[in-house]
Amino acid sequence: MSAVLSERIVEEHAAAASGLPSSVVSAERRTRALEILRTSGLPTARDDNWKYANLRALEKNSFRSLATESRRKVAPSDLPPAIAGYARYVFVDGAFAPELSAAAAHAGVTVKAVASSGAQSGNAASDRSGSASAGAGLRSGAPSVVGTAADAGAAARGDERFALLNEAFAVDGAVVHAPKGADCAACVEILFVATEAAQSAASYPRLELQVEANARVGLIERHVSVGNDANFVNGVVQVNIAAGAQVDHYRLQQSGAHATWFDTLTATVEKDARYCMQFVSVGALSARTTSRVQLVGPGAEAAVHVVSLADGQQVHDGFALIEHVAANTKSETTLRGIAAGRARVAFNSKVVVREHAKGTDSKQSLRGLLAGTQAEIDVRPQLEIYTDDVRCNHGATAGKLDDNMLFYLLSRGIEKDIALQLLKWAFLEDVVSRIAVPELRKHIEQVLAGQMKETAALKELL
Amino acid sequence: MLKIENLYASVGDKKVLNGLSLEVKAGEVHAIMGPNGSGKSTLASVLAGRPGYTVDKGTVTYEGKDLLGLEPQDRAHEGIFLGFQYPVEIPGVNNVYLLKAAVNAARKHKGLPEVDAFDFLGLVREKMKLMKMDESFLSRGVNEGFSGGEKKRNEILQMLVLEPKLAILDETDSGLDIDALKIVAAGVNSLRSAERAVVLVTHYQRLLDYIVPDFVHVLARGKIVRSGDRTLALELEKRGYDWVLEDAA
Repeated sequence: MSAVLSERIVEEHAAAASGLPSSVVSAERRTRALEILRTSGLPTARDDNWKYANLRALEKNSFRSLATESRRKVAPSDLPPAIAGYARYVFVDGAFAPELSAAAAHAGVTVKAVASSGAQSGNAASDRSGSASAGAGLRSGAPSVVGTAADAGAAARGDERFALLNEAFAVDGAVVHAPKGADCAACVEILFVATEAAQSAASYPRLELQVEANARVGLIERHVSVGNDANFVNGVVQVNIAAGAQVDHYRLQQSGAHATWFDTLTATVEKDARYCMQFVSVGALSARTTSRVQLVGPGAEAAVHVVSLADGQQVHDGFALIEHVAANTKSETTLRGIAAGRARVAFNSKVVVREHAKGTDSKQSLRGLLAGTQAEIDVRPQLEIYTDDVRCNHGATAGKLDDNMLFYLLSRGIEKDIALQLLKWAFLEDVVSRIAVPELRKHIEQVLAGQMKETAALKELL
Repeated sequence: MLKIENLYASVGDKKVLNGLSLEVKAGEVHAIMGPNGSGKSTLASVLAGRPGYTVDKGTVTYEGKDLLGLEPQDRAHEGIFLGFQYPVEIPGVNNVYLLKAAVNAARKHKGLPEVDAFDFLGLVREKMKLMKMDESFLSRGVNEGFSGGEKKRNEILQMLVLEPKLAILDETDSGLDIDALKIVAAGVNSLRSAERAVVLVTHYQRLLDYIVPDFVHVLARGKIVRSGDRTLALELEKRGYDWVLEDAA
C-alpha cells in the first residue's frame, strides 16, 4: 500500500473519530489499529497471499464510515425475501436498522446490535449483558475481533489487516449469543446492506457469534447492495464455538455488480465442537475473503465449503487457513469455482498442523472451471505439518468442462447449450447439495441459477 | 435403415476404418465382432458422432439422411442410441432428470408436448424393474458410484426409456457377470421389433447366446472381412480370429 493511502486512512479517521462509538470498539483499540495500519499498510499485490486480489479500487475509495443519521433510506422491498424459519436482523452500511428487522423467538439465542440502544433480542428474558461467556471480549465495551485470536504483530504481518481497518472505523456490530445447550438449527439471518458509493463512504459490517457448550446454531450471514453505487464493504466476523457445540454458518456474498467486498473471518473451535461454513460468492466486482479457523480443542471439526461464480470482469479471491492445534481434529476445505467471461477465481487454501495435533485428518479439494476463453482460475492447496501420524489429502484442478460428459449428454439428445448449463450446475452441486436446510438450499440454488443467466435448463432442478 | 458405404475414418493420425461397408435393415440384429484394435468401437463412435473422429471418405445414410452431417444430439433425436462401453459418471445430474430431459428433447424435435412427470416416473419404475435396478437409483447422480454392471444396466434402461429406432451397443457385455448379462440381454430383447434395429459390438460369443443375432460380421484392420449368421460366432469362439484373418489376407 502506498504511503499516500495509509496517510489518507489516518486523516479520514481523525475527521470522523469523535463520532465513532466506543461501545463498538474502544478509542484505544481504534488508535492501535490505525497505528499498525500506518506502519505496515494494507496488503498489496506483492504480498504472497494477495497477489490475485484486486486491490486497485482502494486507491479511489473513501474509508470513512457513515454516521447513522446520514444513512440512506432502505425500504423493506429493497431487500431479498427472508428465508422461512430465520429471524432477520438488518444492518445498513454497518449500522443496525431496527425498522427493517424482524425478530423472532429462537431458543434462547440472543442478537444484539452493539451501538444502538434499540437493539432487538429474540429473548429479552435472557439478556446476556454481563453474563459469563465462553469467548473473550463480549462485554459491550469491547467486542474485539482481531485482538482475541492474534496479537497485533501477527495481524500486521499476516492477512488480517483489513480487519484492523474495520476496527478503526466500525459504527456498529451484531453479537449473536447462544447459551449452553441452546438448540436453534434454523436460527437467525444477519443481513448486511451496503448503499453508499465507495468515493463517499465505506461500509464496515461486524458480526460476532458466541456459541456456548453443546449449543446448536444455524446462522445465515448475507451481504447485498441496494442502489447502483459501487460500494466498498469491509467486514469482520468472529466465531467462537465452545465444547460440543455445532454451528452451521451460511455466508452469501451477493453484493452489487460494481462493489468491492472484503472480509476477514476468524473462528475458534473447541473440544468436540463442529464449525461448518458454507460460503457462496456471486456478487461484487472485486471480492476477497480471508478466513482463519483454529481447531483448538481435541476432536474439533471444521468444514469450509466455498462456491464462487464470477463472470465479466469479476475477481473473486479467497484465502482460507485452517489450523489444527489440538489432537484428533478434522477439517475439510472445498472450493468449486466457475470463471466465465474475463473473470478470475482464485483460491488459496492452507492447512497447518501444529505439533500437538496428532491424529489430524484434513482434506482439501479445490476445483476451478474455466467457462470463458479469457477467464482465469488460480487454485493453490497448501499443507504445513509439524507432527506425524496425520492424514492430509489435497487436490486441485483447473480446467474446462469434461468432453466425455458433454458427449454423453449430447448423445442422449440434450441440446448443447442445455448440456453445458447442466454440467456447470453439476460441478457446483457437489457443494451446494451439502446445504442441509432445504429452504436455504433452494434459495441458494436460485441465486446461483440467476447468476448463471440461462436458467431454462435448470428450471426443473430448482 | 442404416447404410454404411466404403467408410474410412481416423483418430488423430491413425487410420482406423479402411473401407467399411454394412447395411442394417429394420427388424435386424447385427453383431460386430473382431480382435482388439480392429475398429469396432471406432465404428460405434463415428455412428454416434463422438468428437475426435474424422471421417476421411465414404458415406453413412440413415433413413435416407446423411448421418455424418448431423450433430450427436440430432442423431439422438432421429432415433439413434449409443450404449457406451464406458458410461460416464456425471455427479450432480440426477438420473431421472437426464432421462426426462432426453425424452423431452426428442419429443420437442417431433413437435410433441413434454411428458407428464407422474406418468414418466411410472414408466421409469416399470423399466427399472425389468433391469432389476434398485429404487435408490432414482435419486442418484448419473452413473455416480455405480459398479461396472450397474452402469451397463443403466445404459440399457436409458435405451428402453428412449425407445430408439437404431441402438448401437458398444461392448455392453464387457465386465458383466452371467446374471447381469442375462438381465441386459432381456432388456435388449424386449426392444426388438420389426421397426427397430440393433448393432451389437462385442468381443465374445457369450452375449449372442442370449441376444440371437440375424447377422454376424468380423471386423479386422478397419473393414468387414467376413459375414455370416449366428454359426459364424460359434465358430469364432472355437477357432479364434486367426483363421478368418488369414483367409482375408
